[in-house]
Amino acid sequence: MMKHTLGGAAVVLLLLAAAYAAFFIAPTDIKQGLVYRILFLHVSSAWTGLTAFFICFVANLMYVWRRTPRWDWLGISAAEVGLAFTTVVLVTGPIWAHPVWGIWWTWDARLTSTFVLWLLYVSYLLLRTLVEEPDRRALFSALFGIFAFIDVPLVFGSIRWWRTQHPQPIVMGEPGSGLDPTMWSVLRFSWLAMLGLMTLLLLARYRLEAMRGDLEILRREGEAA
Amino acid sequence: MKNLDSVFAAYLFAWGIFFVYYLSVARRASALRDDLERLKNSLNRGK
Amino acid sequence: MSLRSNAAVLLGKELRTEFRSRELLTTTVVFILVIIVLFSFTFDPTSVQSRRFAASLLWLAFLFAASLMLQPCFLREQNNDTLSALRLSVTDPFSIFVAKLVANTLFLLLTELLMLPVFSILFNVPVFPVIGQLVLVLFLGSLGVSIAGTALSAISAQARMRELLLPLLLLPLLAPVLVASTQVTVGLLDTTPFMEWKGIGFLVIFDAVFLTALWLFGEYLLEE
Repeated sequence: MMKHTLGGAAVVLLLLAAAYAAFFIAPTDIKQGLVYRILFLHVSSAWTGLTAFFICFVANLMYVWRRTPRWDWLGISAAEVGLAFTTVVLVTGPIWAHPVWGIWWTWDARLTSTFVLWLLYVSYLLLRTLVEEPDRRALFSALFGIFAFIDVPLVFGSIRWWRTQHPQPIVMGEPGSGLDPTMWSVLRFSWLAMLGLMTLLLLARYRLEAMRGDLEILRREGEAA
Repeated sequence: MKNLDSVFAAYLFAWGIFFVYYLSVARRASALRDDLERLKNSLNRGK
Repeated sequence: MSLRSNAAVLLGKELRTEFRSRELLTTTVVFILVIIVLFSFTFDPTSVQSRRFAASLLWLAFLFAASLMLQPCFLREQNNDTLSALRLSVTDPFSIFVAKLVANTLFLLLTELLMLPVFSILFNVPVFPVIGQLVLVLFLGSLGVSIAGTALSAISAQARMRELLLPLLLLPLLAPVLVASTQVTVGLLDTTPFMEWKGIGFLVIFDAVFLTALWLFGEYLLEE
C-alpha cells in the first residue's frame, strides 16, 4: 500500500514539474506565441499512447505463445491505458488547432492517423465484450491486437502520403525541424512524466484485472464445492 | 498572454481524462475487493 | 506441395458452393448498385468534380459490400459445424485460409468488374482506356480486403453481434487500403489519366504484411 501511494505521489510531482517546465522553462515560440506549449502535452501523450500499444502488442504475442492469463491481463490494461492517452491527443489537437488555424479539425496527417488508431483500439475493447468464453476472448483479442498493431505503421504511412497530395495546415508544425534544444529537453521531460503516469495507470488496471481473475477462480471453486 | 485559456483548457482536459480513468479503475477495484471478501467469507463458512 | 493441393481442393469447394446458388454474388452486386445510387444523391453527379468523388464512392461501396459479403465466410462453417471436419482434412490450416481468401478475392473482383461498366455510364467516366491499370488496383485492393476480412470473419463468426462486429473490426484496419486504392483510382479516372505507383506500392506492402501475419497466426484463429 505504502509503495503505491509513494509511487503515485512521485508521478504527480513529475507531472507538475513537467507542466511547470512547459509553461516557464520552455522559450516562447515566435510564430505561435503561447499556444504552442500544448505541444509538450500533446506530443508526449502521443508517444506514451504508442508505447502503451506496443506493450499491448508484446503482451498479445506472449499470450498467443504462452496462454497464461497474466499476458491477457497486461494486454487489456495496456490497450485501455493507451486509449486514454490517445484520447488526450485527439482532444488537445483541436484545442491547439483552433486558435492557430481558426478551425477545430484540419485533417492533419498525424491527427487523422491517431483517430484511426483510436478507432482500432476501441474496436479491440468492443471485441472483448462480445466474446463470452474467457479463453477464446483472450485469444481472439490477442490476435486482433496483433493485426491492429502491425496495421499502425501502414495507417500512418498511407495517410501521410494522402495528405501530401492535398497540402493543408499541419497542427504540430514539424517538431523535428522547428524545436530548439531547450524545447526538446522539456519535451523529453514531459514524456518521462507521461511514462510515469502510464506505469501508474497500467499497474492499477492490471491489478483490477488480476482481481477479476482471482474472483473467477474462487467462484468456480464455490460452484464445485 | 494570448491564448492562455487554450493552453489551460488543454491541460485541464488532459488531466481530467486521466483522473476520470484512474477513478473508474479505483472504483471498480474497490467493488471487486468487496466481492472477493464476500465470496471468501461465504466459502469459509461453507467449509 | 501439400499446401497448394489442399488449398486447391478447398478452393474448388468454395467456388462450387457459391456458384451453385450464386446468392452471394447477386446480392453483393445489387447492394453496390443501391449504395452508388444513394451516394450520388449526396452530391452533384454531373459536375466536373464528380469524377473525383466517383472514385471514392466506388471504393467505399466496395468496402461496405465486402464487409457484408465476408460474413458468411466462416459463419457458414460454424452453422453447419464443418469447421472441425475442415481442420482435420488438411495438414496445414493455412490452406483453409488460402482457399477462402482466394475465393473471396475472386468474388470481390468479379462484382467489381461487373460494376465497372455501370459506374462508367452513370458518372460518364471512361474506364476502358485505363482498364488494365484499373484491374490491377482492383485486384490488389480486393486482395487486401479479402486477406484481412477472411481472418477477421473467423473471429466474428464466434462472437455476438457479428453483423456489426465484422465491419467494426475490418473497416479501421483497412484504412490504408482505402486510402491507397482511392488515390490510384482518382489518378486513373482523371481527365489526363496517370498511374500512382506509390499507391500500388502501399497496396503490395499491405497485402504482403497481412498475408504473412495470416500465415503466422492463422492456425490460432481456427482453434477449438
